[in-house]
Amino acid sequence: MSINISQLIQSMLGAATGAAKGHGEDLKNYLQARAKLIAEGAAAIASDRLEGKINDDDVTFAFDEIKESEKSAAAAVSVTLKAAAQDAINAALNVAASAINTAVGVAIL
Amino acid sequence: MNHSLTLSRRGVFGAAILCCALLFGGCSAVFVASYDETTERLLTELSQKTETAVVRADAGQLSPEDRETFFSESLGTVRTLKARSALFAKNEDEIAALAQLEQRFEALQKHGGPPRSSLATGLRGTLLDLQQIQIAKKRSSIFSAGLKKSSSKP
Repeated sequence: MSINISQLIQSMLGAATGAAKGHGEDLKNYLQARAKLIAEGAAAIASDRLEGKINDDDVTFAFDEIKESEKSAAAAVSVTLKAAAQDAINAALNVAASAINTAVGVAIL
Repeated sequence: MNHSLTLSRRGVFGAAILCCALLFGGCSAVFVASYDETTERLLTELSQKTETAVVRADAGQLSPEDRETFFSESLGTVRTLKARSALFAKNEDEIAALAQLEQRFEALQKHGGPPRSSLATGLRGTLLDLQQIQIAKKRSSIFSAGLKKSSSKP
């Protein structure tokens, strides 16, 4: 039995897209949570300063720390994208392996 | 003659199948370190401890002694996590994020005063980043396990 290449490509693309989709949703939720955290932090900085609970140096420190924390945000996005790529590629390879098994009539891969 | 040709073709076919088996079976793509349950548990506990300290600081209920205990215990946990993360291959992003977390704790401790929510946003952001890293690795680990199961079926 021969392999239908165009059908295999479609199946591989479908599997890859499906595998990456979950990571995409996670990334969206994470970015929303991070934006909310920074917005609430900014509000707390303003509120605490207006109430005299913190001084100008504290405000500068707090904002500098938020800026510094963006380095770990980049790491989180990087891991999520790498994991999505890893799952997408492995899903596509799995479909290709199954196609070979079916074509040769033996579960080799 | 024909018989030997058939044997030769069978040999080539067998070699091709073996190559495919090596290509697809033994070489799945690996871009990130595997999920580690202990790392996720330690991070969850650290996040919980941090949020509790921030709530108590906001309410004016975190004494200077409690504050120092919080920082020393938290830094101990972060350094344990850093040492553990270094044991896994392809874990550079997590190691970098943990180094950032250590810096956030140290900076907040050095700055002095209670870790109010207004001052701890950077720290809480980095904790969130590390939790997202665990979520991505866990999802990938579950997905890989599913692929192995489905490919092992006859």
